[in-house]
Amino acid sequence: MRSYELMMIHRPELAEPDVRSHVEEVENAIAADGAVTSTDFWGKRRFAYEIDHIHEGYYSVVAFEGGHELVARLDRALGLLDTVVRHKILRRGDK
Amino acid sequence: MARKARARGRRSKRDPRRRGGRKKVCRFCVDSVDHIDYKDVAVLRQYMSDRGKIRNRQVTGNCQRHQNRVATAIKNAREMALLPYVATPQPSMENRQRRRRPRD
Repeated sequence: MRSYELMMIHRPELAEPDVRSHVEEVENAIAADGAVTSTDFWGKRRFAYEIDHIHEGYYSVVAFEGGHELVARLDRALGLLDTVVRHKILRRGDK
Repeated sequence: MARKARARGRRSKRDPRRRGGRKKVCRFCVDSVDHIDYKDVAVLRQYMSDRGKIRNRQVTGNCQRHQNRVATAIKNAREMALLPYVATPQPSMENRQRRRRPRD
């Protein structure tokens, strides 16, 4: 078990409650094979540059503990989702 | 022996890395920061130019370890669109007259 941090950017045209419930879904998926340490929902934020003609998105950060299989699965699943513009999973405690 | 000492003294006087001024100290070492967070955009911006380039070690005064960490943090932040890859600075008239092309 290692600690990781997941950051997701959801599409801006979604309603905020929908995004929140999706983040919760992700949390539940993580909790099945690991443990969620903390969740931080940033809300809508402007991008520093345009991504696919989008200028803003909903940012959320989920800190969790889990194994590498969980991370691999999460990474793949999030990459396939159309509602998630970008995501990033980093080891916590690393530089 | 004496010659050696003199040579060293001369070099330290004319050390090109220390032209006119005190040696800079790494801010992160002073505050004993271990982890540099890519989400902390305000801090990372201090180590970028107006154009969005990463400032080098000579300018920032960071030690190698922390400079590397700042650089990776900026790169991670860029991937998540928290920081720009390129930005166009809006030069004030004053700046434009003083220096045609600003050093990035």
